[in-house]
Amino acid sequence: MTDRGELMRDSFTNYHPIVNLLYFTLVIAFSMLLTHPMAQTLALVCAVIYAVSVEGKKSVMFLLKFCLPMVLLTAFINPAFNHEGATILYYFSSGNPLTLESILYGVGAGAMLVTVLLWFSAFSRVMTSDKFIYLFGKVIPALSLVLSMSLRFVPKFKKQTEVVVEAQRCIGRDISTGSLWQRFKTAVVILSIMITWALENAIETADSMKSRGYGLKGRTAFSIYRMDDRDKYVLIWLGFCGLFLTAGVMLSAFGFRYFPSIRYAALDMTTIPFYAVYFGLCITPVVLNFTEERKWKTLYSKM
Amino acid sequence: MKRLIPILLILSLLLSLASCGGNYGEVDLKKPVALSEDGIVEKELLDKIKNENAIATFTGTSGGLNYEWTIFGSDLHETKDVNLLVALEKVDGGIKVSFADSESFGFPALLSIHLDEKWTALAATAHRDGTAISSVSITGSKTSILNLPVKDSIGSCTITPDAEKENSGVGANRPNSDGSATDQDKYLTDPVPEGKPLPVEPENQEVNKGKPYTCTFSIECSTILNNLSELDPDKLELVPSNGVILAPIKVTFYEGESVFDVLQRVCKENNIHLESSWTPIYNSAYIEGIHNLYEFDCGALSGWMYRVNGWYPNYGCSRYQLADGEVVEWRYTCDLGEDVGRDGSW
Repeated sequence: MTDRGELMRDSFTNYHPIVNLLYFTLVIAFSMLLTHPMAQTLALVCAVIYAVSVEGKKSVMFLLKFCLPMVLLTAFINPAFNHEGATILYYFSSGNPLTLESILYGVGAGAMLVTVLLWFSAFSRVMTSDKFIYLFGKVIPALSLVLSMSLRFVPKFKKQTEVVVEAQRCIGRDISTGSLWQRFKTAVVILSIMITWALENAIETADSMKSRGYGLKGRTAFSIYRMDDRDKYVLIWLGFCGLFLTAGVMLSAFGFRYFPSIRYAALDMTTIPFYAVYFGLCITPVVLNFTEERKWKTLYSKM
Repeated sequence: MKRLIPILLILSLLLSLASCGGNYGEVDLKKPVALSEDGIVEKELLDKIKNENAIATFTGTSGGLNYEWTIFGSDLHETKDVNLLVALEKVDGGIKVSFADSESFGFPALLSIHLDEKWTALAATAHRDGTAISSVSITGSKTSILNLPVKDSIGSCTITPDAEKENSGVGANRPNSDGSATDQDKYLTDPVPEGKPLPVEPENQEVNKGKPYTCTFSIECSTILNNLSELDPDKLELVPSNGVILAPIKVTFYEGESVFDVLQRVCKENNIHLESSWTPIYNSAYIEGIHNLYEFDCGALSGWMYRVNGWYPNYGCSRYQLADGEVVEWRYTCDLGEDVGRDGSW
């Protein structure tokens, strides 16, 4: 607690990997599937709460600097290319109309993009490569190694680039000084080094995994996870949410369309349960973290 | 207790499944119903169509010809038992339609008569006792379909094809084709048939505001009513029950204006949605959608076409310079123009 300030411990990461994976599969799939603004708002709010409660300031900056402009951008760009919709607000100089529906569609698409981005950033934080290998190492060893390597590739590449840039600077090849041509030449050298490193690194990783008997029968994973009772309960809850929401989609409880005119499933006694369950699904990790935190605090004060 | 939780969850899932129903206020399309022998459609069925905001079709046969009624739930206000039976009879130069019902339906409906021949006329007219009661649009690819909007279904009427009208091309400085060209022009336009106006390039046109002329403009989509099952279900609510988006109106335009210029203005003035995109390869605007009915909304061969004085120009609407008194019709096709009377093949 103390070293992390006011931030919550993300105890959701300590659950069994299958729980993590199922949660993210469900929320990412439903965030992309459910276009109803109510469902989108719920998912966005939950994703923001989760990110801010675990990452704090960093994710607030990400939201303000990146996500907000993105929503505004899609809201502006979509009506410039899409002129469908029954409510005409204005005419462009080309004679095509600016419609209310296309603006709202842009906002909706932007919000969905942000939601899915937040889920994926949480996914990469929670589903570390050892969890991934643990889940799929036995079933599909080659693919899971490739996946975990490619998922790790971008952050690793970034880190290595910093190292190489620093090293090159020491021997006088600084990309921040010199003429434009010189800088370009240095950048190309660094790029060449990086690509060589990436290819070599991938082969080395694969070789080293092979020489350790990766994918052979009877081999155990680095991390060993146990299926506890708490994992089982959360798993049942997630499974229930998945079934319930799938039923909701089939019954068009989340029905929504933008074009040609906006039509949506009304929020009434028949549809509200589905939204409640969807909210429950999305907020699950925050609730788990919160209860864990409280448990920890009560134990701590008793000591 | 621990075993109870999953059971409770499954129970609540089942309960919600039972209590929830789909549909969120869309227009519903019903499967075609064959009329019974007495042709009676009961009030209960009409009430159901009205309450579900559905579009229903009823089919029948008479005199060897098939016909179908298209009834929009949104048109139904006061309902009663109606008799939709129709007797069709080929008479000299037309079709005689006799309604079986002795009194008016009390709601408008569209009667589509599937002929066994092709009518080449631009349109047809329904007459009763020598006076015209309604204009009839002709659609259909191989054989013609006559779409008669029925408001007052008493007695009988006769549908005859309209005679062709001669139009003079006054007030346009465009040359007509002499039929001698054999190659495509630089905008990939095939030779224009003899006597038809040649395309003009929009960038060379100057609009002379001092010379106002009038033309007749109309926008219609009756082919969609013949192919409702093909239509994107979201677009059902847009289709007018008689197929007419803009009834023929007289429009003022100025010398040098193209069909596209006038279409844009007419749509703006009448608050009709229009989306177009400039297509450099044809040096013309392409009409993607009017009234939110877009190309490909009613099958892969659907889209908007324009006809001036009964001829579908083989070039874009920005290149057709309008002349005084011309009749411009924008029609939605579901079959690359075959079903709206485009002659010749591309």
